[in-house]
Amino acid sequence: MAFEKYIAEHERRTARALAMGGKERLEKQAALGRLNARQRIDHLFDPGSFIEIGMFARGEPRGDWDKTPADGKVTGYGRINGREAAVVSHDITVKSASSSPVNVRKMGHVRRTAIANGVPLVLFNESSGARIPDTMGAIGTGTLGQDPTQFIRMREIPYVAAVLGPAFGTACWFTQLSDFVVMRKDAQLAISSPRVTEIAIRQKIDPMELSGWRMQTEVTGKVDYGVDSDEEAIDLLKQFLSYLPSHHNELPPRAAVPAGADEPATKLLDLVPEDRAKVYDMRKVAAALCDPGSLFPLKDRFAKAAFTALGRIDGRTVGILGSNPMFKAGALDADACDKACTFFVLCDSFNIPIVILADTPGFLIGVEGERRKAPGKVINMMSALQMCSVPKFSIVMRKSYGQAYLNMGGTRNTDEMLAWYCADVGFMDPNVGVNVVYGVKREEDPQRFEQLVEEIRRDSSAYDLAGIFSAVAVIDPRESRRWLARLLELHQRRLTKGIGKHLLSGWPTTF
Amino acid sequence: MARETIKAEITGNVWKIVAQVDQDLAEQETILIMESMKMEVPVLAPVKGKLKELLVKEGQDVSEGQDLAILET
Repeated sequence: MAFEKYIAEHERRTARALAMGGKERLEKQAALGRLNARQRIDHLFDPGSFIEIGMFARGEPRGDWDKTPADGKVTGYGRINGREAAVVSHDITVKSASSSPVNVRKMGHVRRTAIANGVPLVLFNESSGARIPDTMGAIGTGTLGQDPTQFIRMREIPYVAAVLGPAFGTACWFTQLSDFVVMRKDAQLAISSPRVTEIAIRQKIDPMELSGWRMQTEVTGKVDYGVDSDEEAIDLLKQFLSYLPSHHNELPPRAAVPAGADEPATKLLDLVPEDRAKVYDMRKVAAALCDPGSLFPLKDRFAKAAFTALGRIDGRTVGILGSNPMFKAGALDADACDKACTFFVLCDSFNIPIVILADTPGFLIGVEGERRKAPGKVINMMSALQMCSVPKFSIVMRKSYGQAYLNMGGTRNTDEMLAWYCADVGFMDPNVGVNVVYGVKREEDPQRFEQLVEEIRRDSSAYDLAGIFSAVAVIDPRESRRWLARLLELHQRRLTKGIGKHLLSGWPTTF
Repeated sequence: MARETIKAEITGNVWKIVAQVDQDLAEQETILIMESMKMEVPVLAPVKGKLKELLVKEGQDVSEGQDLAILET
């Protein structure tokens, strides 16, 4: 047969690459309940759609050539529900998927190709960090950094990441650069491993405290979801991408509207208590406004006084930001402002209209807030909101006070501001305002105090907002979804075919 | 078994204690309710676990960051 020896050699080399780090290491990975790098790709892409690039790349030192199939990072392109995407899947069974000059070159090529062609980049992150000894010394370290665009994020395309094992060094950096991150509950994400950190700072480290999922979902807020399995992680990445366009010059895909989609919003009066002392969960309100089953919370365990989510109204993707009275009474703190900022950046970059649901007593003030740079965070959020060129709508639901009223889209800070008939807007909570303005305390003169509360409360209604044309309409809460659907239909930015200016696309990827 | 201290996220007053010591709690189940900013703000179990200790009493003023309860997870 012609080319016989070439075919045999090609088959041998292909089989070697597909064998990854060998049977023993693959079995160890399976015993941990984790998929291997190639199984993850199989779970991600439509069957038969994956094309691999860099299969025959290997580590640079001659001694590594046979020990480093695909050089520990499997890369290529495939389709997710018919839509093209690029992938980097770290292979922990090959030199712990450590980063080397060759596999970093592979990553760079895939990333640049994804950006140039407008397809999302998917990262399965599991790596020990820089490869030793390849990156040791001036020659090793100086060889890095060949790509001066490596860490630029202009959000031409979405980056999504799943942290599926130890993720240090490059795997950590690209997680930080991602728009959406999912993490296994037994995975680790940090600059360096607990062992290296312990040696460096001479201190005993609790690995989960340093790098565990709760640190990342609750304290840093970088990770959106903690999950139990690889499959769950990959499915969440796919779900997130289903709301987004493939690139910034495209609109998000429109989905079919489930039957009975208008029904939940007609029950809104049962979800929100009339008594303002009673809290409720804003997530339930957001779910009722969206097409059934479409609400997809983001960073749900972090800065919970601000709730952020993607969802669909009438099949159109929307981004929802709500203050959530269930947590901190809905008072926004420094973390909540950071969370809102990140969310605005996502929506602005990918042409996603924003819906803001306001029921907040204001910003959480105090020494801790100042220490955490709250004033700067408040104004970052405000600035980000004003720079968003996507359609923006807000609803003042119960109360919205002071600067927080503006940060939550008050008056012209959204394209159309609606007010529920029970809305209450003022410079601060009237009970606090009486003391601040008149120096009267309830316990000292209850009658006078109540009189003054009423005085401050006067002219603070939804109709007063509408009277000066700050609110464009006063509505029954049950009409909210119908209003939003109609406004989304109108606000299509037809002159630019719905594509925004993306003024926030170069903002930092973390905070 | 790990022990997790539940801290006050906001300054206020303990209005009502809802859960009892040794009670098994689901994630997001209410432990107690604080009164803060003129609202009744629930303190929820961050993860599933058993309530081992309550460190505050009804009517007590608490500051942001103060320990409220201990959960065994």
